[in-house]
Amino acid sequence: MSELGIAVRRGRTRRRPRLSWAFAFVLPLLMVAMELAVFSVEPRVLSQRNLINILNQSSYVLVFAAAQMMVILTRGFDLSLGASVSAISVASALVMTGLASAGAPAWLIVVAGLAAGMGFGLLVGLFNGLLVAGLGINPFVVTLGSLNICLGLATTISGGRPVFNVPDPFSHLLYDGTFIPGIPVPLTLAAIISLLLYFVLGHTVFGRSLYLIGNNPRAAELAGLPSKRYLALAYVCCALLAAFGALMLTARTGSGEPNLGGSLMLESIAAAVIGGVSLMGGVGGILQALLGAMFVTMLSNAMDLLEVGGYVQQILLGCVIIGAIFLDRLRVTRS
Amino acid sequence: MAGEVTGREASASAFDRAYRFYAAVGFLPIMLALFVIVLALFVPHFLALGNIFNVLRSSSYLVILAVGQMLVMIVGGFDLSVGAVVALTSVVSASVMAGLAGSLGGHPGIIIALGVGAGVGCGLAIGLLNGLCVAFLKVSPFMVTLGTASIATGFALLLTDGIPVYGMPKSFVNDFGRGLWLQLPTAVYVAVIIVMLLWVMQNFTRMGRYIYAIGGNLQAAIVSGVRAKTHLILAYALCAMLASVSGLALTAQIGSGQAVLNAQLTLESIAAAVIAGVSLKGGVGKVEMVALAAVFLLTLTDAMDLLKIDPRVQSIFLGVIVVLAVAVEELAKRRMTLV
Amino acid sequence: MSPTQLEDASRTGSPVRGDLLLELTGISKFFPGVVALDGVDFDLRHGEVHVLFGENGAGKSTLINIIAGTYPPDAGAFRYRGHALSRLTPHEARAIGISPVFQEFSLVPDLTVEQNLFLGRELTAGGLLNRAAMRAKAEAIIRDLGFDLDPNRKVRELSRAHQQMVEIAKAFLTEVRLLILDEPTASLTEAEAAKLFSLVAKLRAAGVGIIYVSHRMREITAIADRITVLRDGRKIRTVASGEVSETELVELMTGRKIDVLFPEIEFRPRETLLEVEHLTLADRSVNDVSFFARAGEITGIAGLVGCGKSEIIRAVFGLETIASGSIRVGGEVVAHPSPTALLRRGLCYFPSDRVAEGLALSRPVRENASMAALDLPAFSRARVLQRRSERRVIQSIVERLRLQPPQIERPVANFSGGNRQKVLLARGLTRDIKVFLFDEPTVGVDVGAKAEVYELMKALVSAGVAIVLVSSELPEVMHLSHRLYVMHRSRIVAELTGKDINEPEVLSYFFGERSPAAAAG
Repeated sequence: MSELGIAVRRGRTRRRPRLSWAFAFVLPLLMVAMELAVFSVEPRVLSQRNLINILNQSSYVLVFAAAQMMVILTRGFDLSLGASVSAISVASALVMTGLASAGAPAWLIVVAGLAAGMGFGLLVGLFNGLLVAGLGINPFVVTLGSLNICLGLATTISGGRPVFNVPDPFSHLLYDGTFIPGIPVPLTLAAIISLLLYFVLGHTVFGRSLYLIGNNPRAAELAGLPSKRYLALAYVCCALLAAFGALMLTARTGSGEPNLGGSLMLESIAAAVIGGVSLMGGVGGILQALLGAMFVTMLSNAMDLLEVGGYVQQILLGCVIIGAIFLDRLRVTRS
Repeated sequence: MAGEVTGREASASAFDRAYRFYAAVGFLPIMLALFVIVLALFVPHFLALGNIFNVLRSSSYLVILAVGQMLVMIVGGFDLSVGAVVALTSVVSASVMAGLAGSLGGHPGIIIALGVGAGVGCGLAIGLLNGLCVAFLKVSPFMVTLGTASIATGFALLLTDGIPVYGMPKSFVNDFGRGLWLQLPTAVYVAVIIVMLLWVMQNFTRMGRYIYAIGGNLQAAIVSGVRAKTHLILAYALCAMLASVSGLALTAQIGSGQAVLNAQLTLESIAAAVIAGVSLKGGVGKVEMVALAAVFLLTLTDAMDLLKIDPRVQSIFLGVIVVLAVAVEELAKRRMTLV
Repeated sequence: MSPTQLEDASRTGSPVRGDLLLELTGISKFFPGVVALDGVDFDLRHGEVHVLFGENGAGKSTLINIIAGTYPPDAGAFRYRGHALSRLTPHEARAIGISPVFQEFSLVPDLTVEQNLFLGRELTAGGLLNRAAMRAKAEAIIRDLGFDLDPNRKVRELSRAHQQMVEIAKAFLTEVRLLILDEPTASLTEAEAAKLFSLVAKLRAAGVGIIYVSHRMREITAIADRITVLRDGRKIRTVASGEVSETELVELMTGRKIDVLFPEIEFRPRETLLEVEHLTLADRSVNDVSFFARAGEITGIAGLVGCGKSEIIRAVFGLETIASGSIRVGGEVVAHPSPTALLRRGLCYFPSDRVAEGLALSRPVRENASMAALDLPAFSRARVLQRRSERRVIQSIVERLRLQPPQIERPVANFSGGNRQKVLLARGLTRDIKVFLFDEPTVGVDVGAKAEVYELMKALVSAGVAIVLVSSELPEVMHLSHRLYVMHRSRIVAELTGKDINEPEVLSYFFGERSPAAAAG
């Protein structure tokens, strides 16, 4: 016994912490290196305006990466995130413009818009969650299905055109108003969501269960955790977060856009995985989502400043995703 | 108690018989037959020669794509990059042919051969990249192919700036793409030949059997001496090359190379495979069923077109059908274990 | 195995009987968290049956996997027929005549028996599969082996015993020089086992070297030329058959006197806590079974692999689909058994496969231990975790169980088999559990931890809980149980108490209704 114990210690504990420390630093270092490299060519990258811009932009990415993280933790993913964002944007914009033209009061318009968006998100989440958890269907197929349904809905109800004239009070609330003086609203909202998720994941039975389910679904079930309910709930949380992100984006553009979510599915998964949320489930947290979101945002910001074309950016995003898998793999085999 | 047991056994055997019939014939042919009868009765022009023609032609592209997807799904993965490969092939082959038209104007055969080679080469490269990543990094094929899809689409757009590429040899477009042979479009023959070749491969070659074995029980395959990595890579390479063939046929028919051919192709190929009973867990799937499922899907689309259903709404239908197909399979499996 | 093949084997195998066929020196193998083999020497002669003897987790399967080329050793030398080999692959191993028959089946469920037999070695003609030739050969092999197998059936549809036959038949497809049999009789009937033994005798006469893994005494004395005992990854001794008694062998295997390893547990039965009546499962792996378990008593269930013994307690915990029958816990009927419902009623199941079903390996000990009790006020209030209280409770439980090292924030993956089992057991102490269902509680657990597990059982029983112990380790289930049920083919065929719990008696029921001959043997 004791010999076995010693061998165990010899092989393991000494190496592990060092590596996980190394991994925790890889991404921040990469970010700093990237910014400095770009700075040597394009000094504007470190200007105050650009830095605030990056923070603002990453707020949105963070919301979607966090949404995606909720389901990736359970070994799933949500391909419909993106299509659902488009559909929610259009639906909430239609509700608000409809009420506005009927002359409803501002508060009612805003509340109805929020309710329509979150309600739509709830439906998408329930659809995904019930099929994945209740019927045990592969999340890939389920969310591929809901992707198409959302895509169809988004283009059908909008007729394929943007829904303009989203009332200003809505944009004030979620975009350019003041919530805490001096801090942009999206940043505030992202911070609130982060704190909320930090608490949920670390300090509630639901959060703990997500990690356990993702790490070993059978074991979680045998330990009497209500796995199915929590799994479904994870998809609902994901869709609700995506819906909130969609509302934030709608507030920013001031219109309901049927193509709003175009690249969001890819970006959200990429950000979460790059940050260190493992596709094998059970590993990751809000900090990882935050790091990933910052990285993805900085990368595209740098490319924008360097006037790299959109097509090349798409190629690079693909390369970054494959690079992230390498990293993920490395982490998993080492620990 | 005893009576209850025999009663249960009797109902079990009835269900068993029904299930055996279902397993022998398959759900799909029955559905397709019923479906065609209903459509023939209620949808005008459905049985018109031109329409049947149309369905066959348009489904042949999907058949080629879906049987490739099937190979990857049998080894337990899936390939999200097939749609992007179709686009990249289209753009690359058209650009090569158009570019060579000036210098090699008099030799359309050579131009076509080089164009086709370049297109299939692109497919092969992407397929190898997918296969190598999956086999050696043992990572989720989902992420890998998502990444390569992004890369391939990016290249296709970068090469053309989103503008269609014209200038392919006339013989490529008129004889191959839009030509008829014994009253049928050439693409149909290509699809039939590919399906037949894959059928032989699945049933009569080691490779086919190994592909099943890898998806069915990877560890057992390795212990039995199957070179699992090689066959994994082969499956991904074949899938991407078939996507290239599909892309070439489409390009020839359209007459130009396009970076945005059909955003739904990847989904449709997976849908066809899933409807055909190819298991997402790997190890199960028959090429003839997948071909049939592809025809079924296109028949459905055609019927919706004839009924003047908005193509956007059709996307919703497609999503529902995919989920339904898998849900029905899952429920049937549960029924079986309960009996 | 046709006669011609046997002759081939004897001719090309150039066996001077007694010559070394295989020689392993100083073989070591490490897995994350475990030293599976530690400097093991092993050799095998032509025409010899060499038995590998040891408990589960002693390193037997690691050793045969190294010989079969499944994975390379981390240290040591490997000589086969006089040549040093390195980087052996499963494919090459088969090509040079090493044929393994694993206990963990290497079969592809969706392929047919014939397709599985030839997997990796298909016969071809002109690049295409020669299906007729393969069919003929498959039928010939199955006939020669005397197995009742249909080459057309899918392996998924076969019983465990039949799958075992396919696995054995696979080994005879090519010329065999070294045959590895890993507990081949674990799920065979006596008649089938007898056929296998006569086959082994024929092969031995033809000069084939046979490595035979088993811990069934009767088989070992009947078949072995030499016996090597492994314990905790080390070679303890190699002895010639007949040189040592059965008791000595068992003591070599466990490393201590039997009465020391198994504590004397006082038998003071009280009220019945678990009652199962006429239980039948949907897949018929359990058929019309009734049993009960009382507080202050260990109720054992023994039987062949695949006889349905673990399915019974899994069904009680809601993990199998029940067709009919009733389950009562503490007198109350449990209408819809599920882990959640049964944990609430004070019943907990400890799975045999701790990696697949028990533990979330990369999560810390603390989370794994509290997993089954997160609904209790000690761990959460209003669904918000009480992390400080959780740490305190788990730390004290872990210290009571003597977890080594007692660090509750370490991922479970970094602990050895015995310590992982303790983490799992901690779950039973986080809430008020009255009935413990143990499914092979000492699989992959080293001897030291095993004794501690038994001590814990003793403490639990004297504190008045009911324990149901399902085990394939005959000594374990015999020495610990106060009352022992024996199962055969999905049914309970005997209930033994007191002095009736002895090896001949128990084994006589293993193969079905007791016949006078079996009882005498």
